[in-house]
Parts: sequence; C-alpha cells; structure tokens
Amino acid sequence: MAATVRAKGYAHWDGRPVDRRFPWWPITRMGIQLAFRKKRFKLAFAMSFAPAFVFLAGLYISERLEDFQAFFRGSDRLLNITPDYFKIYLTNDSLHFLIVLVLAFAGAGLVADDLKHNSLQLYFARPLRKKDYLLGKMSVVAFFVLIVTALPGLVLLLFKLVFAGSFKFFLDYPWLPLSILGYAALLTVFFAFYILLLSSLSKNSRYVTILVFMTFFFSSILHGILYGIFRLPALALVSIPANLQQTGASLFGQKLPHAFPAVWSFLVLAAACAVSGLVINRKIRSVEVVK
Amino acid sequence: MSAVIRAENLSKWYGNVLGLSEVTLEIENGVTGLLGPNGAGKSTFMKLVTGQMKPNIGSVTVGGRRAWNDPALFAKIGFCPEPDAFYEDVTGWEFLTGLLRLQGFCRAEAAERAARALDIVDLAKDKDRLIRGYSRGMRQRVKFAQAIAHDPEIIVLDEPLSGLDPLSKRKLIKLIKDFRSEGRTVLVSSHVLPEIEALTSRIVLIHQGKILAQGDIPYVRELIEAHPHVISIRSSDPRRLAAGFIGDAAVRKLTFDPDGKTLVIETHKRDAFFGRLTGAVLEAGVLVDEITSPDDNLQAVFDYLVGK
Repeated sequence: MAATVRAKGYAHWDGRPVDRRFPWWPITRMGIQLAFRKKRFKLAFAMSFAPAFVFLAGLYISERLEDFQAFFRGSDRLLNITPDYFKIYLTNDSLHFLIVLVLAFAGAGLVADDLKHNSLQLYFARPLRKKDYLLGKMSVVAFFVLIVTALPGLVLLLFKLVFAGSFKFFLDYPWLPLSILGYAALLTVFFAFYILLLSSLSKNSRYVTILVFMTFFFSSILHGILYGIFRLPALALVSIPANLQQTGASLFGQKLPHAFPAVWSFLVLAAACAVSGLVINRKIRSVEVVK
Repeated sequence: MSAVIRAENLSKWYGNVLGLSEVTLEIENGVTGLLGPNGAGKSTFMKLVTGQMKPNIGSVTVGGRRAWNDPALFAKIGFCPEPDAFYEDVTGWEFLTGLLRLQGFCRAEAAERAARALDIVDLAKDKDRLIRGYSRGMRQRVKFAQAIAHDPEIIVLDEPLSGLDPLSKRKLIKLIKDFRSEGRTVLVSSHVLPEIEALTSRIVLIHQGKILAQGDIPYVRELIEAHPHVISIRSSDPRRLAAGFIGDAAVRKLTFDPDGKTLVIETHKRDAFFGRLTGAVLEAGVLVDEITSPDDNLQAVFDYLVGK
C-alpha cells in the first residue's frame, strides 16, 4: 500500500517516530498537568506533605532531646526512633486521608472525563493498546501516591541519618528502605486500581470524587459497626484502611494492629485489585456501546 | 487499482441492535463518500475500519492488514469522530501535541506538526485558548486537525463538515480534495447530500446497516431502472419541443409544469436522451432558457433506493 501511495506522489515524513518504550507516558504527563490546574488539588497536594514535616520535626527533636527537655518531658519513648516510627508515618489515618484527598481531585476524572468527552476513541485510533492506556492512567495515580509516601519516607530516613550524624540506624535496620518502598508500592497498586475502578463507573468526575471518599471511609464505618455487633477481629477485613494498616505493619515487621494473619489482608487487597481490574477492563471500551 | 480498505461479510451488532449487516465492500485510493441517514451504520463502519471495534462476523482489512487490534496500523490512519472527543480543559495546542506524542513523535516534531495542522484549519491564532471556549466550528476544525496532523495515508472522517460555517466548509472540502491528489485514501461520511456531492462522485449508500449501492453517482443512478431520470427544460415553446420526443423510445413520460414554459421529461436512458436533445431543440426551433435535472443528485438516488 505504501508503494502505491508513494507512486501517487504523497510525501511521507522522513523521520522516525521516537522509540515507544513508554507509549503511555503522554497520557501520564497530561493527567499530571491537568491535576495541577485544579486549585483544590493544589491545596490538597500541599497539605499532603504536612505529616512529613511533622515527622521530620520529630526526627530532629529525637536527636536533640536534651535541647527540648522542657517541651517533651517524658516523651523519650515516643521519640525513640525505630522502624515503627516510619510505619506510623506511612500507615497513619491522616496520611491515608490525605492520599485519598489528593487522588479524589487528581484521579476522579482520569477515566470519567474520557468517558464524558468520548476521548477513548481518539486514544484508540492511535498506536496504543488498552494496556498502554491503563498504564498511563495508573501512572498518574502512582506518581501522586509515591510522591507523598515513598519520597517523604526515604527523605525522612535520610534526615534521620543526617541528624544522627552516623549510619548506625541504617546498619541496624538495613531492610527499612525496602519496607518503605514495598509499602509505598502496595499503596500505589491498590490505589491505582481503586481510583481507576471508581473513575470508570461514572462519566461525572464529581460523583467519582464523592465515591472515592465514601467507599474508603464507609468501609471503616462498616467495620466499626460490625465489630461492635460481632466482636470478631477478622471483620477488619472489610475496612480498606484496616487492611492497609495490617499489611503496613507486616511489611515493617511491627506488631499487627488486628488479631489475624497479615496475609489475609494481602489477599483481600489483591482480590479487590483483581476484581477492579476485571471491571475496568470491561468498562474501558474504545467506543460507546448501544444496548 | 487495488482496494485499500476491504470489508468482507462484515457484521456488527450492539446487543440486539444491528449496526452493520453483511457488508462487503472495497474502497480504493481517493475520496469515497459514505452516505446514509443517521443510524444507517456509517459510524459503525468507520469504527470498524479504524479498529475501534471488533466485528462480530466477517473482517475488515486496511492495506491488507486486519484493522482490529493492530496498533501499528493506526499510525497510518487519521480518524475524525463525529461527536466531540476532547478534554475541555486543555488548549487546542496541548490537545494536538498530546495526541501527536501518543503517535510516537518527539516533542519538537509534535510541536511542528501541531503548528502546521492548526494553521491548516485556521486555528493558529486560537491555539492557546482552552477548547472549552471554542465555538462549534472551531471544535470541528481542531478535531479535523488531529486527524491529519500525523500525515496519515488513510483518513476517516465522520461527518467532518457538520457545524462549520460556509467558508470553513469550503476550505475543508478543498483540503479533502487535495488529499485525493496526494494519493491518500479518504473515507468521509455525511447525511447531508450536497456535502458528499461537493467532495466526491464516488459514493457508498448505506441504510439500516446494509450497503444499498456503490459507485459513481451516475453509475448508481443507472442502477435504478425503475426510477427514470427527470429532466426539466424551460423554453420559449415547450409543446413544440415535446412534439419532437413523442416517438422517442428513450422518453417515458412528458409533462408540462403549470407555468406552461417548462417541459418535464422522464427517461430511462439519460445519455441517449441528452444525445438527442440538441438535435430536437434545433428541429423545433425553440429558445432554451434552462435545462435542469433535479433528479440527478444524491437525494433523488437515495430516496429511490430506500423506497421513499
């Protein structure tokens, strides 16, 4: 066919398209750019670093307790920095809330807006597979989750070494960076599926924003109600934050907050991701379907 | 000439709704018009050609390659969908460069191509405005620009002229005709007949998911033997002119308009009739003011074929 076209005099572009190792990157880039155009997002994003600064201050104070004795009398145990300190940073409810807040603004429209604006057909009229599209969208979520978890987590660890002036802490817990990265990766994978699932359920990103909050916190409320009735620790499996905390504690080698094996929470989260993947795959179609 | 787009026994349905039924079709280089009313199956056919949907039965190939699930092929295809299909919160420039980056062009090349495409559709001045603020015509033009920005060999345009002002429409028509001379294959759909007529004489008539007819407009017209051509001749003495055609086997019916100055002739053999017309006018010695063939347009052909 190309020969026919050339014979007709049509001048092809002589260059070569760039190596498409990451064909999804333009989608990610656009998703991140669009998020930063929202004022509410910018506020939420800035707020999401607040816990990191608080924990950074904690690190500083822990190394100079004698300077702050007047303020922190009796707080030696609290400011005794162990891997638990990093676990608390990454699994505390306030950080989870801020992650959900950031993703509600940055991720609600990821698929919903494409469905609303019929953009899928433009994506899929290009040399792009569905998996590239999904990877591009998931990478937006990954970017924001990692930037408020892995990045501050590792920076905190670095500052701990700087404030201590030695590598002793790192040598005592050499696996800690892997725990930070592992838990951040788990959050990334879970939230990527979670946000994309909800975003693919509606064309209205505002509804999706509400859904993101509702499902996350309703699962906790449901856990509270069920636990109040049945008093079974395993009921924490219905709660998203509880499962994240359980897996987090396991990855940091700390005491589990709920009295059941952490592997159950891993399985629940994996199952949630698998079901989300199936639904997303079904919902992402290149064109509208008349039924 | 070999077909660029080839559909064989192509069928597609959405649940219980039939989108396309057993379509076998070959489309060659140049501009081909896909004509049919809303819901006829034009968009379905285009989405199958651009690999957006998988056929339920049959196959569609573009340049010898199956269109479904072949992303590499999509680099050669430019698709302008009918409905608006873009983020409102990006500028025309961002929209185009973003899509060009998805095509695999580097940043500089994407920028150059976006600038060129926006210039072609007269949106260079408005490139930094949010699409949210674009008028309907501008949206249509930026949509068209994204379809041509990567210089595709095959351009599929779903109702590209709708919403355009006359000037933009004329420019786009010229552009599409230029594509033909460049050797590209353009498949363009419309339910507005004059638009298709302005673009090409090679048409595919589609209705209720089936291909009713395919070919040049006169060829399609000849298919309809049951529906003769109607030719109106406004002259100084229509009755004398009519006398010359009484015994003509090509003429099926002669009538006069109420104004008394127009002879309306129905014929099954259009070419034969026109071959005789000049001689008949001279023989009758009448002055002819106007010869029109109101039947010789797509609307008439389409009406006949769908049985209106």
